Amino acid sequence: MEIFNLLGLEPKLFIAQIVNFIILFFILKLFLYKPVLQMLEERNKKIKQGLDDAENAKKVLLDAGNEKVNILKDAKVNADKILENTKTSAELLKQKTSEDAKKQAVDIVDNAKKLAKDEFDKANRQVGEISVDLSKKIVSKILSEIFTEEEKNAVLAKAVDKIERGGYEKTTN
Amino acid sequence: MNLAPEILFTVAGFPVTNTIVTTVITDLIIVSLVLVFRFTMSLYPKMFQNIMESVVEYFYDSTKDIAGSRVSFIYPWVLTFFIFIFIANIIGLFPGFESIRFHPLGNLSEEGVPLLRTATSDLNLTAAFAITSIVMTHFYAVKYTGVKSYIGRFISFQMFPIFLFVGLLEFIGEFTKIISLAFRLFGNILAGEVVLGTMSSMMAFGVPIPFMMLEVMVALIQAIVFAMLTMAFMNILTEKH
Repeated sequence: MEIFNLLGLEPKLFIAQIVNFIILFFILKLFLYKPVLQMLEERNKKIKQGLDDAENAKKVLLDAGNEKVNILKDAKVNADKILENTKTSAELLKQKTSEDAKKQAVDIVDNAKKLAKDEFDKANRQVGEISVDLSKKIVSKILSEIFTEEEKNAVLAKAVDKIERGGYEKTTN
Repeated sequence: MNLAPEILFTVAGFPVTNTIVTTVITDLIIVSLVLVFRFTMSLYPKMFQNIMESVVEYFYDSTKDIAGSRVSFIYPWVLTFFIFIFIANIIGLFPGFESIRFHPLGNLSEEGVPLLRTATSDLNLTAAFAITSIVMTHFYAVKYTGVKSYIGRFISFQMFPIFLFVGLLEFIGEFTKIISLAFRLFGNILAGEVVLGTMSSMMAFGVPIPFMMLEVMVALIQAIVFAMLTMAFMNILTEKH
């Protein structure tokens, strides 16, 4: 007991310190430890989420890059194909157009030739008719001075016939 | 300086000592810090919150490394011991401790007694902490290992009488734990105060500074020692064997 008095051990103070500590323990547990651990856990979750998101974003970016490259590659292939097809089509079109033009030109020339021939024949026929008519008139005038009317008609008919036949023969030749 | 704390006055038969005053001041500081922390806490911590979180996380992780899943009930005790002892030790180094004198009623003619004295230099406090630590350790030992396992730790008839003797040593060891915890803290802090008092009385300026720096380290080390020993004792006794 003497030593306890010397060291100042006093049951009331001792119990008061225990009670004080227990109260402080519960206050700290309620207001410090629990909130801090919850906060740390929440922060850890957020950090993990953030890192996961960043990782996913990186992956998505990488995929997007790869996809971009693939799309560009495909686009280039398609563009080359389209260009090739266009060239082929243009070539074919050009060829066809050229052939059509040639054909049309041949047709036009043929038509022109035909028309020219027809015109020539028509003109020839008209010239023949005119020359017959003119010859008839000249011969009639000349014969009217030499022959009678009857003789004149007979000669004239004969001459006209000869002229006509000669003109036709010339035309057909 | 006396080994016993000085009684300032009594309230309804309860002796209010200078260490009780300091204990209340320590409590107020801790509660204020905790409440400030609680109501300014955010997901994006600032300086103060970082410090508090670092302390809590350090003790939580250290306890988890040693005790594993039993961390949930061990670390609050460990951390509370650390926080209280560290702050009580540190504020004992502030100016005013020992130097501000109080004249108890009826002793006006005397030199008076210190109004403030480091709370941990009172054996009542250190013994109370040691008893709390050991009692809670045994409470958790019974709760988590079972009564049979708990008793088996102290009374065993295997290889009679060797384990019975070992159990007896274990039993005595539990009392020595209380004494070692209580007197280590009490002795270190009281000795520090005596050294500082002596140095200050020899030369008030300059000379006490290295000893104060030493006492800052002692304050931290003693707080850590008490907390870590509590952690070790709780871990050992709550482990199933």
